[in-house]
Amino acid sequence: MTDNEFSEHDGGGLTRRQVVRGALTGGAMLTAGGLLAACGGSSSGGGASSSAASSPPSTGALKSGGSLSVGATGGGAKDTIDAHLPTADTDIMRCWNLYEPLAVRPPSFGSLEMMVAESIEAEHGKADSWVVKLRPGIEFHNGKTVTADDVIFSLQRILDPKNPKVGAASIGYVDIKNVKKLSSSSLRIPLKFANAAFLDDIGQYFNAIVPVGYDPAKPVGTGAFMYESFTPGQQSVFKKFPNYWQHGKPYVDALTIIDFTDDTARVNALLGGQVQAIDNLPTGQISQVQSNSALKVLISHTGEWQPFTMRVDQAPFSDVRVRQAMRLIVNRPQMVEQVLSGQGRIANDMYSPFDPAYDASLPQRHQDLEQAKSLLKQAGHAGLTVQLTTAPVFQGVVQAAEVFAQQATGAGVTVKLQKLDTGTFYGPNYLKWTFAQDFWATREYLPQVAQGSLPTSPFNETHWADPTFIKLIGQARAELDASKRSQILQQAETIEYNTGGYIIPYYSNQIDAYSAKLGGFVESKSGFPLGNYWFKNVGLTA
Amino acid sequence: MSRFLLRRILLGLLTLLLVSIVVFAATQALPGNAARAILGRNATPARLAALTQQLHLDRSVFAQYFSWLGHILTGNLGISAATQQPVSQLISGRILNSGFLVLVSAIIAIPLSIALGVWMAVSRDKPADHILSTVTLALAALPEFVIGIALVLLLATNVSHVFPAVSIIPPGEHAWNALNVVILPAATLIIAVTPYIARIMRASMVEVLESDYVTMARLKGLPNRTVIWRHAVPNAIVPAIQVSALQLAYMAGGVVVVEYVFNFPGIGSALVDAVGNRDVPEVQALAIIIAAVYVVVNVVADVLTIVVTPRLRTAGR
Repeated sequence: MTDNEFSEHDGGGLTRRQVVRGALTGGAMLTAGGLLAACGGSSSGGGASSSAASSPPSTGALKSGGSLSVGATGGGAKDTIDAHLPTADTDIMRCWNLYEPLAVRPPSFGSLEMMVAESIEAEHGKADSWVVKLRPGIEFHNGKTVTADDVIFSLQRILDPKNPKVGAASIGYVDIKNVKKLSSSSLRIPLKFANAAFLDDIGQYFNAIVPVGYDPAKPVGTGAFMYESFTPGQQSVFKKFPNYWQHGKPYVDALTIIDFTDDTARVNALLGGQVQAIDNLPTGQISQVQSNSALKVLISHTGEWQPFTMRVDQAPFSDVRVRQAMRLIVNRPQMVEQVLSGQGRIANDMYSPFDPAYDASLPQRHQDLEQAKSLLKQAGHAGLTVQLTTAPVFQGVVQAAEVFAQQATGAGVTVKLQKLDTGTFYGPNYLKWTFAQDFWATREYLPQVAQGSLPTSPFNETHWADPTFIKLIGQARAELDASKRSQILQQAETIEYNTGGYIIPYYSNQIDAYSAKLGGFVESKSGFPLGNYWFKNVGLTA
Repeated sequence: MSRFLLRRILLGLLTLLLVSIVVFAATQALPGNAARAILGRNATPARLAALTQQLHLDRSVFAQYFSWLGHILTGNLGISAATQQPVSQLISGRILNSGFLVLVSAIIAIPLSIALGVWMAVSRDKPADHILSTVTLALAALPEFVIGIALVLLLATNVSHVFPAVSIIPPGEHAWNALNVVILPAATLIIAVTPYIARIMRASMVEVLESDYVTMARLKGLPNRTVIWRHAVPNAIVPAIQVSALQLAYMAGGVVVVEYVFNFPGIGSALVDAVGNRDVPEVQALAIIIAAVYVVVNVVADVLTIVVTPRLRTAGR
């Protein structure tokens, strides 16, 4: 990556060329192409493998050496460095740099990139059992070679019934008792049901591979950086892992992550030169940072979404006409403008826009107050009053609730806002609010459904339990042929589009900033800031 | 005097006990608990149950309070609910940092504001007095975060780069070894509290300067300097001592905002974080420490008041 390509960010928005380049970079970083092409080009296809270590993207003028300080959002006493318990942004940032899962989606959100695994393939062409081959010779920070035992230990640790970790919500269907070591560098992972989306579910940063006997007090992983010190709420210091499997990376010798509870302090630290990069630049500060020639703004067009969640099993939303009316109330372009200061794209009440199965042919929903009024009248709810529960769980969420309440008056609907603090929002009524909000990262369709749209999902906030939908998802999970699976998924998407409980007004942009002396940051469609926090790709340019 | 002191100390301890009960009750009234706060949106029932047990949050409210009280009587601040580490270990470095920040600010702000107040009173109704009165009034009206952000804009980011914009103190390092990062937060506190003390000092000094004994001293032909510093100031200073104590106590708590603006690793940011985490032992410890500062500072101010006031000094004899 050369300087020139990065300076294009200066202009603010992203040019078309950059988007294309982003895709190509993603392609070059991927090594799973061959086999995937054979199964139809889908990312969550029947398997993926890499024949050799990833060829790193062209490093251009990036120099080795130097140190990097990054300002991270939030952090506090509950910060953790445990590979399997990340919650806050600062935890996530540490995890991406210290640890690696078997595979993971790169910032481009292209196909899964093999990390600790060399390949993960469906056994005998069926999606209910998967064979993992480990990357030869890959080492932990303590010098030990990664073996199948470490993978089994990691899965057991994540799925420990007495102390389930974050990943238990995504790979809970792994038949952990029957996971079998095939050789020192391969194993078989059977599932409790067939699931073509297994690769995506296991391929999450929080499902990292740690050595047998892992102790978070002495954190060891296979990531590009190794642990040096960690003080919750203040800073974490990591150093370069010299035996990292991607040769030549990381570029910098030392990485310091500094916690900032206040947005202004974080931006000031960047302006004052105390840190070289920050995540989550507030939209109000974009122009100030852009006007500073020593800094660059990194705008990523993600698949992140912040829905309004209507419980489909509770009045008034148990009537599909009310749900439809609420969706027609939203003036999406206005919401993008007012809530995100234009930093987003309108959405169509559907999630997973980067999934190959995303049905772009469904007509874009626009504000239609007359239609909304008429639907409410038919449902016997003319002049409806509803309570919307909101909390600052994610930037822009409370503002979105305010804008929605304003827009609803146009259809004669009174939206009473119940503004809570985050602690109360996640209190005993969490996932039970009748009408509330949430935020989600970029995911493919099936993994997202597993998280939030099935009766068995851990976060089914809309209490969605459509029998046809459930049947279709079961069929799609068992289908390894990507094009056939796409057809089934589009039927499921159509059901959600017509009758679902989410209002999805937009996908928000991720905005970060960094010093112009650095190169290697790429747009991250995944929504993880600063290009998946992959500081292994970042170095000084001159 | 000693009976007075003893009574004040006992009352102070009672205050602290009441504070601990009120703070504990308040944290219990907050919805959610440490387990929910830690898990946030990942609070699935299985993980919630596991963590609630790990953190001993399944005990009754009274059991939690009395176990805390029992510990603190033996000098043990307890175990943090959010991190499972001893609270003393979590906050000791932060107490030193905040203590240093408040102390530096007080050592500069109190003499500075008393001197300013005296000067304003002495040059009453002259241009210097008018200018200073207006400036101190304006500064008194500004919240600390506005002062802090203005200082950052002027001295750290936009206008010039003289001082660091945020106070990054490496863990294990103390604030006094990183003086350059203390300057802006201390300046903010100084600017925030100086106007109050200075204005009180001016008002009380003006009153004293108009009193008969000052006129008498002047008529006796004493030099102006002696009249002001030997005769007027000792009598005018009592309200300033009281307001300084209030300001100092306020700083111990108000440092929260300043620490937030500068990302200063002190008790203020720890307290905000602990409340967010519903970390009852840590909130209790910090609240008690801040309340203790309040009590101690007030006792000291009362003692000082007695020392400088002959009428009170001799009253008990």
